[in-house]
Amino acid sequence: MTAGGRRIAAACGIAASYAALGLAAFAALFPLFWTISTSVKQRADTFALPPRLFDFAPTLKNYEAILATRGFGQIFLNSIVITAAATALCVAVSTLAAYALARSPRFRSRGALEVGLILTRAVPTIVVMVPLFQIISRLGLYDSHLMLVFMYAAVNIPFATWLMTSFVAQVPPALEESAAVDGASRTAILWFVVLPLILPGMAATTIFVALLTWNEFLIPVMLAGNDAKTLPVFIAGFISARNLDWGPMAAASTLAILPIALVTVLAQRKLVSGLASGAVKG
Amino acid sequence: MRPSGSVERETRRLAELLVVPTWVFLLLVFAVPILGAVYLSFRNETLGSFVAPRFIGLENYAAALADPRFWEAITTTLFLMVAGLAVQLPIGIGLALLLHRNLRGTQLFRTAIIVPMLLTPVAVGLMWRFMFDTDFGIINWVLGGILTDPPNWLGSRWPARFAVVIVDSWQSIPFVMLMVLAALASLPKGPAEAAAIDGAGPLSIFLHITLPSLVPVILVVVMIRVVDVVKLFDIIFIVTQRGGPGTATQTLGLLTYNTGFIFFQTSRAAALGILLTIMVLPIYVLWRRVGRSA
Repeated sequence: MTAGGRRIAAACGIAASYAALGLAAFAALFPLFWTISTSVKQRADTFALPPRLFDFAPTLKNYEAILATRGFGQIFLNSIVITAAATALCVAVSTLAAYALARSPRFRSRGALEVGLILTRAVPTIVVMVPLFQIISRLGLYDSHLMLVFMYAAVNIPFATWLMTSFVAQVPPALEESAAVDGASRTAILWFVVLPLILPGMAATTIFVALLTWNEFLIPVMLAGNDAKTLPVFIAGFISARNLDWGPMAAASTLAILPIALVTVLAQRKLVSGLASGAVKG
Repeated sequence: MRPSGSVERETRRLAELLVVPTWVFLLLVFAVPILGAVYLSFRNETLGSFVAPRFIGLENYAAALADPRFWEAITTTLFLMVAGLAVQLPIGIGLALLLHRNLRGTQLFRTAIIVPMLLTPVAVGLMWRFMFDTDFGIINWVLGGILTDPPNWLGSRWPARFAVVIVDSWQSIPFVMLMVLAALASLPKGPAEAAAIDGAGPLSIFLHITLPSLVPVILVVVMIRVVDVVKLFDIIFIVTQRGGPGTATQTLGLLTYNTGFIFFQTSRAAALGILLTIMVLPIYVLWRRVGRSA
């Protein structure tokens, strides 16, 4: 191949790369665009063929309908409060376990804990739901916010512990040893030496767990009634009740998705590096 | 300075203490319910039945194994797994390779591409359902320009299965891509550069140098995806309405749900759950092995 030919081939390669990435980005974002655009369409425009991409008169009617739905404020608040509490609980518990797993190669329950965490990650939640539904109903905990917080935290502990372990392992043990030599107590070392260094990792883990909790559907659809209902259950409720109400449905979906889109854009780098450092460790 | 042996013992004692909360969660939310499921699976509890529940031994297991829907659910789950990986691995790896070239502006593409991974499955599931609609959906409107008879996505057997694969892939390709991208970033550049100097083309560099070093991360990805397809619930619940049409997209998880909470056969559902748990056990062994090699 001549030098000129090679240059043309390289240019074509670059153009093809951009084209492929552009196509992927389009495929990734189109359903999101379509949700948002459906949420601001009149009913007639929703069903128009050919589909109206941009040429329609936008309306906020669908949002008004959703916001006026009885109990919607409570549902939205439930989602926020339960997500915040469960995420905090999950990250706290996981960080403690991660420190143990990263620092002590041979504590007594280590082997069993590793088995337990992997199995908990692998066993589908529906399996434990069959007996849990009975147990929780009998204990009178059905539809309780606190029970949901506990459940949400539990299902995300394996993932969060796995991620946090890789972050703790990145902190050189020498730092803790030298602080111990200087006479710092164990609590002081954990609080003033380790914690500041793993804070970025905890932030990334928090974002991931918060997303998973916000999106969780199986647990609330089975264990929450009207009091503790969360946003995904509310959205799913549209299917059976009003199958053709795509506008309000899209508005509700948009309200669930927008906070996530915001977090993604703002915390993108943290998410990617967080997953990357956890991922490579396996 | 204290002898290092006592420091290690102290760390060990601290570690025992630090994992106590995790144990509480694992025991209460997983171990106890699974024992509960074993107990239920040996009884004949059905909601709204007039017969007093009693122990019936292995009858639930025998009935579950004799039910053709059980075997259909297994093939459906396997199909979603295999077809999903066949879509997600090549696209995910391909996109990672493209982003790894670090062309100008590709950060922006990366942001766009990871968005689906983070969105609420219930919400995007509904939107896909709307897009798959035979009469008003945008997908068949586009396909109508190419095909004379576009598929009835959610109304017939195989198209519905492919619809689930499409939505699941749309949400999980970003995950595959990010994992591979992280692995690519940690690869040494030397071998590929040496091969290029020796005159190897890009394709043979990929096949003989890059791909073999990606094998560990690909194994991890495959395992996580296998586990997640077995766990897949909300997307199927929404897109094909709990495994429809008929039982076309009813995976083992959905079969367990429908048995326990639509037909209220609690004990039968518990038995299905235990069978499902036994089936995921081999994954645990693989996980340990792959985890070690990676």
